[in-house]
Amino acid sequence: MAGAALFFAATQASAQTGDARVQKLEDEVNALKQQMAAIQEQHVRELAELKALIRKQAESPTGVAQTQATQGTTAAPPSLYDSLKQSVASTVPPSALQGIDLDLAVVLDMNFYHDTAGEGVGHLKQHLRGFGHHHASGEGHDHGFENGFNLRHVELGFTAEVDPYFRAWAMVAVDEEGAGFEEAVIQTTSLPYGLTLTGGKLKSGIGRVNRQHAHNWDFLDAPLVNELFFGHHGLAEKGVQLTWLAPTPFYLLFGTEVFNGDNAHSFAIGDSDSLPAHDAPRLWTGFVKAGPDLGPRHALQFGLSALAGRHQMVHEDEAFSDGDTAIFGGDFVYKYDAKRSHGHGDFVLQGEYFYRDMDLDGHGTWSGERWTAKQDGYYIQSLYGFRPRWRGGLRWDQVGLINDLRTPEEGSANYDASCRLAAMLDWKLTEFSLLRAQAGRGWYDTGDGREDAWEFALQWQVTFGEHGAHDF
Amino acid sequence: MNTFKLMLCVAACLSNAQAAEIKIVTTTTDLADITRAVAGDLAEVSSITTGREDPHTLTARPGFILRARDADVWIRIGMELEIGWEPVILRDARNTRIRVGMPRHIDASDHVIRLEVPTQRVTRDQGDIHPEGNPHYWLDPLNGRLVAATVSERLCVLYPEHKARFEENLRRFERDLDTRMFGTALVDALGGENLWRAVAEKRLEAFMTEKGMADKAGGWYGTMRPHQGKNIVTYHRSWVYLTERFGLGGDLQLEPKPGIPPSAKHLASLVSDAKARKVRMILQEPFYTLKAAEFVAARTGAKVVVVSTMTGGSAEATSYLDMLDNVIRKMGAEL
Repeated sequence: MAGAALFFAATQASAQTGDARVQKLEDEVNALKQQMAAIQEQHVRELAELKALIRKQAESPTGVAQTQATQGTTAAPPSLYDSLKQSVASTVPPSALQGIDLDLAVVLDMNFYHDTAGEGVGHLKQHLRGFGHHHASGEGHDHGFENGFNLRHVELGFTAEVDPYFRAWAMVAVDEEGAGFEEAVIQTTSLPYGLTLTGGKLKSGIGRVNRQHAHNWDFLDAPLVNELFFGHHGLAEKGVQLTWLAPTPFYLLFGTEVFNGDNAHSFAIGDSDSLPAHDAPRLWTGFVKAGPDLGPRHALQFGLSALAGRHQMVHEDEAFSDGDTAIFGGDFVYKYDAKRSHGHGDFVLQGEYFYRDMDLDGHGTWSGERWTAKQDGYYIQSLYGFRPRWRGGLRWDQVGLINDLRTPEEGSANYDASCRLAAMLDWKLTEFSLLRAQAGRGWYDTGDGREDAWEFALQWQVTFGEHGAHDF
Repeated sequence: MNTFKLMLCVAACLSNAQAAEIKIVTTTTDLADITRAVAGDLAEVSSITTGREDPHTLTARPGFILRARDADVWIRIGMELEIGWEPVILRDARNTRIRVGMPRHIDASDHVIRLEVPTQRVTRDQGDIHPEGNPHYWLDPLNGRLVAATVSERLCVLYPEHKARFEENLRRFERDLDTRMFGTALVDALGGENLWRAVAEKRLEAFMTEKGMADKAGGWYGTMRPHQGKNIVTYHRSWVYLTERFGLGGDLQLEPKPGIPPSAKHLASLVSDAKARKVRMILQEPFYTLKAAEFVAARTGAKVVVVSTMTGGSAEATSYLDMLDNVIRKMGAEL
């Protein structure tokens, strides 16, 4: 259709201008012919010169030296390096040169899950004695797996260098109920003195597992202590983080964060007029990570973290509590690199410990009373690559070694610990796909006494899009 | 008197500090060795990898971050070989001078001769394909020569006060490499640069005949010359630059696709292909498992040769040139 119109227009135009136009075109063609002849002539001449040069060089026993000696007087022919450089430049693939640097990666993660608990292990974990008290407003949606098939949210990750000063990434989690930000982060790239400022909604740098996205976990699920203290998404908050890589001969990183403090599990604000108002930011953290250089095969890193913030709870019958939460943690990781292909022979030992102290004053019907909790938890896990691309792992979880609770309803109480053992086997077919089997047995202290449960899961996860690099 | 001694000592220490070495960090040991040859004692050169590991897969660990933090110059193989770990190291090191694209970040692949650059859009169904071409280019000695020139060229721009030294060192390295490649007789008579030019134009034999030197081929070229046209099996497509340069057929791999482990079905068809092409050698790097190679060897009578393609990867591979020397000696003996 467009072609026909063009043709019509062209015919019209030529009819209008007639012979004058034909004459002009002929002139142009002649001019072009002359140019072509001149170019051809030049090429033939240049080629002859080049051949003569090569012959001359080849004939002299010290061709290279002579070329260099004559460099001062006549224009020297390009060196081998320079001439190859020209020809190589023309073969660099367009893919290397075009497009902006926006990395997009999508993670699909499904599993088949089965546990033997009456109401599900997810339910048990919410009713562990001493830990089941996160009655803040707006309870987050639960990500506990249900028996049968589960599709964990689809993660869409975007990463780019914004300009010479900042980089940014966004991790959008989409599930059947909607979409939300796991992270949306701006980070400086050019601050001096080893400083980096990060802002937005970000995963806190405390501990080790907290920073990782679910698809990078070494097991299907997060450790119990992380889940009970910070929830399924970990501590991810709106705020800013400043880190400093110290100029020491060993690895030493300091970090501090200021967050709004909206974590339902440890740093929540209740939705009630009976509670005192606290403006954000309400949560401060600090962490330090250190690692000696142990040569090419061994790597070790230690970390310490501290968190302090406000916490409020809404209880039944117009009872409220308001006060402070402090959390202290320590973590370590040791990695052995066997220097074989695809993780064969590699070994990892890793553990984290957190202690939480909540001290709240009663309000409403609990006015004049106190609500306090001192609790802790840890995990220790180990992974071994027994074949290229295959890993086996064991994780031992324990929460509530210290589990002292004092409430206006029940007074002081000292509850039992809960624990869990999980075994994992995974197969990374490529960098982009993973199959994992996990089995676990948990012993949980709920209000109805001790409950045991088995958990089984088969996980199937793929990443498509950009090739992500791996953090330590 | 004591004070004077102390002052002397302090002065000596200060002058030492002033003769500050250039700190260069390279991603691989081959780059480190070539850079050492070019920079001489003007630089302190270290490599992130040791030469013993698979350079595709490495975890960015705190020690690497510190070395990148303190580096004046960073040199990588490029072509996405280090894509799984270099970005993390450079991000966490917070050294703005060596960020990708900065003059102090040298991509050694900038001016090398590339093979297997995809001409069509690649999908991951084809395995671990690098969109910029096969990154194992350092096994072509000509590329080693070009890398040295690339590094020297950039160092001359960054440190013009040492230009003469860098260029002198480069010429010495090129002379060493040329001699190992073609033998002293050819290099003395025809000049290394001319020989390489003929190689690049694929007319080395004609050139030698023209000059009446057809029987003077020495060095690596002389070792491999009788084997031209023979086929070998390799584990990964990490040897194509070597087979291409020395006229061997290197299209048979134990891996069905790059980065995908050998499958029984693929090995069965490989055995018949290897028999048809009279393959006598299966080559692989030390970090791969031997099972697949032994399977094919047992059914074809080919010999399994395990040899490192990276400096420091085995006892013999003490330098880039010695690494190539070792590879070619072993191949020459077994082919």
